[in-house]
Amino acid sequence: MFNKTPIAAVAAASLLLIAGGCSATNAGKTEAAKPMAMAAAAPAAPAKVDYTKMSAKDLAEYLIFEAEGYDLKQATQEGTSGRDRLVQDEIQKACSLMKGQEVSDKDREKVMALAAASIKYPEGGIKLGDWKKGRELAWSGFGYRTAHNPDDHSKREAGGNCYNCHQLATDRTGGDIGPSLTGYGKNRGASEDMLKYTYDVIYNPHTYFACTNMPRMGAVGVLNHKQIADIMAYLFDPASPVNK
Amino acid sequence: MLKKNLLALPVALAVAGVAYAGSGMLPEDALEMQIKKTNSSSYLTQSPQNLMMMPDNPAWEVVEAGEALFKQPRGPKNASLEKCDFGKGPGVLEGAHAELPRYFADTGKVMDLDTRLVHCMKTLQGFTNDDPAIKQKHGSKTDIMKLQAYIGSKSSGMPWNPPMNHPLEKAMRDAGEVMFYRRSATMDFSCATCHTQTGKRIRASVLPSVYDAADWTKAISWPAHRTSHEQVRSSQHRVLECLWQMRYPDIKNGSDASIAMISFWTDAARGEPVIVPDLKR
Ligand code: HEC
Ligand code: HEC
Repeated sequence: MFNKTPIAAVAAASLLLIAGGCSATNAGKTEAAKPMAMAAAAPAAPAKVDYTKMSAKDLAEYLIFEAEGYDLKQATQEGTSGRDRLVQDEIQKACSLMKGQEVSDKDREKVMALAAASIKYPEGGIKLGDWKKGRELAWSGFGYRTAHNPDDHSKREAGGNCYNCHQLATDRTGGDIGPSLTGYGKNRGASEDMLKYTYDVIYNPHTYFACTNMPRMGAVGVLNHKQIADIMAYLFDPASPVNK
Repeated sequence: MLKKNLLALPVALAVAGVAYAGSGMLPEDALEMQIKKTNSSSYLTQSPQNLMMMPDNPAWEVVEAGEALFKQPRGPKNASLEKCDFGKGPGVLEGAHAELPRYFADTGKVMDLDTRLVHCMKTLQGFTNDDPAIKQKHGSKTDIMKLQAYIGSKSSGMPWNPPMNHPLEKAMRDAGEVMFYRRSATMDFSCATCHTQTGKRIRASVLPSVYDAADWTKAISWPAHRTSHEQVRSSQHRVLECLWQMRYPDIKNGSDASIAMISFWTDAARGEPVIVPDLKR
């Protein structure tokens, strides 16, 4: 603990340095920064930060956001930027657990509360949609990939990626990062509580499983109400191959 | 030919189950050793076709092309790469890849195979960033891939041993570790989501775990011929691909972020043999 503060201070100081030193080459950062950079016109000797003086965490953030690690300006399907994809929200921060690290009780409560608060229910309550559409959505891993080969959402809707991590109907091979969902509706029944639980899990699984590996498909807007209804039909409909 | 030039002796030793010590070993023999050691782990044995094809790995042609390129005087300075120092002295390739990334005093930076190679192509041969020789990074037909395949093959069978003596080497590795566990983007993925449990699968693909060094060495053994791409690929390319699946923006080739990641993942395979050129799905 005792050496924490000085290191953070040095890191902060070096971050300031680089922010100043780089503004000349970093086109279009902020309008205010530009005239300053021009006034300073001297050939910018790039300020050198000392990586060894930073904590691993500060250095990681620095490499990602300041040292041009990623294409931060890259366009995304949701109209934001690569930078926005990389900035962590509260849940991502609390759940970036290193080897052997468990989420603290405080963080667990915070994560579960944030997750529960994020859930929006469809008007008219949770209903089951079309299992055939749900089958394709559960299979599809399309959507929101950017990098060197961006997914074109005007050509195809984004999918749910469920099969990446779950076995569902046995006619297709699913992954096993998550538990098998084969026979889901048949085994659990379609009570109102069960439907709500399942809706919540798909919308934001941290509501029940703090820091789970499962994505928040509803909360981040990958799946809309109708798509969730279709996927839920795939899980619950007695005619769905999941329950055969 | 080239492949045959690798010493027959260590191969014999491996077959006899004797511990290898610093000398080369054919990739198929190094892999065979790992399969024995892990009691046929599901990751290492998931593709019987690839195991069978290892001795006839199409990457060997790329390795050979790389050897020719390496020795040929090229670029504005009409020099070969034979004086390039990959960390073990000018021109020493044996075991060099097994000890990368590492700190280089002449640049003051930690560099991986890719960035060090580019550095030498610039300083020794006079190429610039705009020359196709440097600009084209991916695919078996590029100079970079050929050269990396050749240089990488010279470490096959040797234990990964990236140095951690210089404070920058440690700093980069540690930052890479943080990045490995750092969750973000649309799906909240970090590398750890998919690579910290043994034997788990994404659909039908068995995932290597960073905690199983004996498996992990194959995961990070690049250059490798990817049968699904019909191309030889690099470490930098694998990072790109996983990040694409993770919905992250492009990581920049040769950026310190990419090198930090590769420093961490190489350290995680420490002591296990390099399997290069490998064959992957
Ligand atoms: C990246 C992997 C991943 C993806 C993608 C994923 N899940 Fe999950 N899912 C999990 C994990 C892991 C769990 C277990 C929860 C835990 O303990 O963390 C889980 C749990 C569940 C559960 C609760 C299971 C139970 O026994 O109560 C349901 C239902 C579920 N997922 C449905 C889905 C659906 C539908 C999709 C696609 C829209 C999906 N999952 C996508 C990983 C994933
Ligand atoms: C959503 C799951 C997922 C995430 C997250 C992920 N990977 Fe992967 N990774 C895979 C899959 C699937 C493969 C292919 C494995 C196979 O074919 O056996 C793979 C392969 C690899 C390999 C090569 C192994 C091989 O056999 O091809 C490495 C190394 C690797 N990943 C590193 C990373 C790193 C570093 C990150 C974080 C930047 C990461 N992965 C994030 C799913 C993932």
